[in-house]
Amino acid sequence: MDAQKPGRMSALGKAEPAEAISRARAGDAEAWGQLYQEYAPAIFRFCRRALPTREDAEDATIEIFLKIRDKLRQYDSSRSFTAWLYKVAANHCWDMLRRRRVRQDKETDDVDSLPLEHPDPDQLERLIEARSSQEVRRGLDKMGSRARMALVLRYYSEMSYDEIADALGVRRAFVGVVLLRARHELRQTLGQSSAMAAGGTP
Amino acid sequence: MSEREAAIGDARDDHLDEMTGLLYLEGQLEPARARGVSQHTEGCRACRTLLRALEHESRLLTRAMVEEDESLPARLLAVPGREVRSMQWIWVAAFGLAATGVYALYTNYIQPWQQQLDQAGFGGTSLLSLLVFQGAFWKGWQSMISLFEMLALLTLAGGGVMYLRRRLRRTSAVAVIFAGLLAAIAFPAPAGAGEIRHDQSFVLGKNEVIHNDLYVTCGRGRVEGTVDGDLIVFGEGLDMSGHVTGDLIVFVRTLRITGRVDGSIRAFSNTMTLSGRIGRNLTSFSEVMNLDSNSEIGGGATFFTAAAALDGKIGRDILGFFHDGSLTGSVGGNARLKGTQLNIGSSAEMRGKTHFTGRHPASVSPQAKLSSPLEYEVLREKPEYRTGKYFIWKVIWTAATVLFGLVLFQLMPQFARDTVSSAERFGASLGLGVLVLVGVFFGAIIACITVVGIPLGIATIVVWLAALYSAQIAVGGVLGRWILGTTRETWGLIGRMALGLLLVRVAYLIPHVGGWIKLGVILWGMGAISLAVYRRFQTLVPAAPAVPVAAPTT
Repeated sequence: MDAQKPGRMSALGKAEPAEAISRARAGDAEAWGQLYQEYAPAIFRFCRRALPTREDAEDATIEIFLKIRDKLRQYDSSRSFTAWLYKVAANHCWDMLRRRRVRQDKETDDVDSLPLEHPDPDQLERLIEARSSQEVRRGLDKMGSRARMALVLRYYSEMSYDEIADALGVRRAFVGVVLLRARHELRQTLGQSSAMAAGGTP
Repeated sequence: MSEREAAIGDARDDHLDEMTGLLYLEGQLEPARARGVSQHTEGCRACRTLLRALEHESRLLTRAMVEEDESLPARLLAVPGREVRSMQWIWVAAFGLAATGVYALYTNYIQPWQQQLDQAGFGGTSLLSLLVFQGAFWKGWQSMISLFEMLALLTLAGGGVMYLRRRLRRTSAVAVIFAGLLAAIAFPAPAGAGEIRHDQSFVLGKNEVIHNDLYVTCGRGRVEGTVDGDLIVFGEGLDMSGHVTGDLIVFVRTLRITGRVDGSIRAFSNTMTLSGRIGRNLTSFSEVMNLDSNSEIGGGATFFTAAAALDGKIGRDILGFFHDGSLTGSVGGNARLKGTQLNIGSSAEMRGKTHFTGRHPASVSPQAKLSSPLEYEVLREKPEYRTGKYFIWKVIWTAATVLFGLVLFQLMPQFARDTVSSAERFGASLGLGVLVLVGVFFGAIIACITVVGIPLGIATIVVWLAALYSAQIAVGGVLGRWILGTTRETWGLIGRMALGLLLVRVAYLIPHVGGWIKLGVILWGMGAISLAVYRRFQTLVPAAPAVPVAAPTT
């Protein structure tokens, strides 16, 4: 499988705006504005996926950028700015959820009990192919915070397993388990939605 | 690969389990294991289908999350400049406050003062009394109380919105807070909280009885009846000839007490005359304090006045600071007095020791009855200034402050870092410091006498005092950082703070300028602390990652 690299935040094919980052670090307000314009939509979308409500996402986006602005001098320019930005965003969102005590710690408690299964591949493929993006987004909204956050970190932010482990505070060896459990939860949620839709059809 | 991953992979030899499939697709298996999976899937249709389904699911997830189904909200279109805006309101408020103060100072103090000087020469009242008791701060008490009360409530409401909006929808939070605010304003205070009267000319008639604490804001006030509780008065003048069963707390220009107070009196006034009886103690901050021969105080008396005439009976000890003092009454306990000059008249009767510290020896009438010879100590301006002892104490206090700072930095390292960073915004910190130093203190004092409540007011004052003392630590921290450079190590921060603090304390010793430096440090440091607190409320997040992260590897 091809390695996934962060970089989705900037427009496709665009490199990170190194000069703007450098000037923003030096206190250039215009450069900061440029960075914000470039990255705000992606960070808002990240927050929208990770947090339960739109208002939370709006608040979090502003707070993340204020934090980034304060911490910009600590950013190591030899590393990926995008990855750093996501890291701060992930920490912020996860901390917001933690403060609301909506973390579902049971998910780490019972990771060892995850059954080793070989599901019916054809059935699984049919189930997945039948889903639309919109259905998946609705399903994500109904998921537990940790599971949703894990999927967002991996499939939106394209974070490595190490980074996900760090952000969620779990052992690296459990990241795959957390992701798989999240997928199961999503499938279950989507299955329930389908059942409800089918039941409601006259 | 972890043991668990290996176990998962080896669990079924015939087909891949889902976990192994996912780890394979995500590039998380060790090369040898990945090769094994690859070889297996070449000849196994079911496992190829599983991998395809999982990969399809990954793509579906990514697509679903990346798709823009919602446009960027309008409030996010503008580049967040809340810090800048917040600084702007601080500056606007600071300058507004300053402008108002200057205007009030001129119209209410300088102008009438000039007129008085013109008419009566230089024999007028002191600058302090004019400023405090006849000036801007006095005439507007009623409006000021209302203003501070409203500000205190609005501050609480703002805090409430900030707190609740994390837990409720924003509109719900605002609705809850404003409903509460409305209720607080609209509903009458419960009986237990005391009775509040606002009247330009307040009179409590001779036969009237208030069975509660009574709060009065007025122009002229007259109390002839009975207050069965505490009486708290803000106004221009109060004539109390009635009976107060609790304490009497007054902030008035002219205070005259001919009645009876069973509790204590705390008086902040220009002129205070006592002819009545006080069951317990007297504390007075007055320009002129006169205890006439009919007055009687059951307990002790503490006073800070320009002119003090003590002709009545004081049951226990007295502690007094004054310019001119006259003692012709009786004192049941010890007297410790400090002032420019003291006259002890022939009718004076001192049952305990009398100690006087003054510029001139006390004039004592031979007929005065003193239980022991008067102890006199010459008042020296700065008796210990620049002596060895003075410096030793300075070193001790500096060390104590460093120790206090060390504890703070260890207890709250992140907040300490934030505070030091905030202090780098020199102008904003200084502006905010002015507001906090003045506004919070007065707000807390007013809160103590309004519906907001005494506990909140006292707690605020305690925090305010702590911030006052901690201000030098914040400034020390930033000075140290400027000298030695930035660090993220807590002990590095502490070292820088200690160095900066040392410089600050040395600067305090500079003659003539030291006091101003101290004031500047307090304003700067308090502003930085407030700014850090403000940001903490604003962001509600822990520190950003100390080390920038690497790009993800798969």
